[in-house]
Amino acid sequence: MADLLGTFEQAVMLAILRLEDGAYGRAVLHQVQESLARSVAAGAVYTTLDRLEQRGLINSRLAKGTAIRGGRARRYYMVAAVGNRALADAQKTLAKMWQGVKVPMAVKS
Amino acid sequence: MNLSGPPRWAEFLLERLLGARDRETVAGDLREEYVESIMPRSGRLWADVWYLRHCLSFARRCALEGGPMGMLLIFSSLVTLICGCWLALMELLLRHEGFASRAAVALLIAAICVATLLARMLHLGARHERWFWPAALAFIWFGCSSFLRNARSAHFEGFVFVISLVLLLQGFLMIVTMGRMNNRGRLTIGAGAPAARSR
Repeated sequence: MADLLGTFEQAVMLAILRLEDGAYGRAVLHQVQESLARSVAAGAVYTTLDRLEQRGLINSRLAKGTAIRGGRARRYYMVAAVGNRALADAQKTLAKMWQGVKVPMAVKS
Repeated sequence: MNLSGPPRWAEFLLERLLGARDRETVAGDLREEYVESIMPRSGRLWADVWYLRHCLSFARRCALEGGPMGMLLIFSSLVTLICGCWLALMELLLRHEGFASRAAVALLIAAICVATLLARMLHLGARHERWFWPAALAFIWFGCSSFLRNARSAHFEGFVFVISLVLLLQGFLMIVTMGRMNNRGRLTIGAGAPAARSR
């Protein structure tokens, strides 16, 4: 079993999966902010991307930049096979934790 | 001022806070967001604030890159900086005999601390490492001499004792950490990133 993923790491990896071929830094930042419904610092996302890449859970490739970026390259991210397994493990663990627990999902005022 | 993108100084700051590997890609991402999304929506002033906020979000990562030793160096530099400024201020206020030279030395120590912090945080070490050694050796010498003088003195002063130890620590840490500041990989368009990197 792969190392357990933190919530933020899962959010970043799921953002990459959702974006498919368009998962470069800016798009991932947007997607993470959307899924967590809050503002997220760029530093937090890029640090997590770096950490996940170091752990071999995601891969990246460089592509040529556009004029609006001042010609700067884009780094596109992909979830590696190990990363997919880690996400599946995280999902299973979460489902197991919640099994048999009933929490009132909506509080009536 | 760069008319279409973020201010040049902010881009420079961001690039300094990032390692060579991320310098181009991250700066490009933030510039793209700034130009396409933030500035049309919020105007230049708020866009600049937004950009600066995201720049500074990389400072923590930058500080952590040096590991525990790097963090300790940043901490000791901050302590020495505060102490240096305090000593200089006291010398200038009290004006005892020979205060000017002592205040100058305290200010010089504070300036070296500022330079150390900037070099450590902004990845300037690899190019500006010539001054580390004399500065580090001067700190060790200052630390040793003030420690010994204080130990031999009839009036032992805790403040001087702490400063001398911090100076010694900072001198050693400068030699250990600054001498091998990271030279991270450069970009190669189209190439996959290596799985493990030496960060």
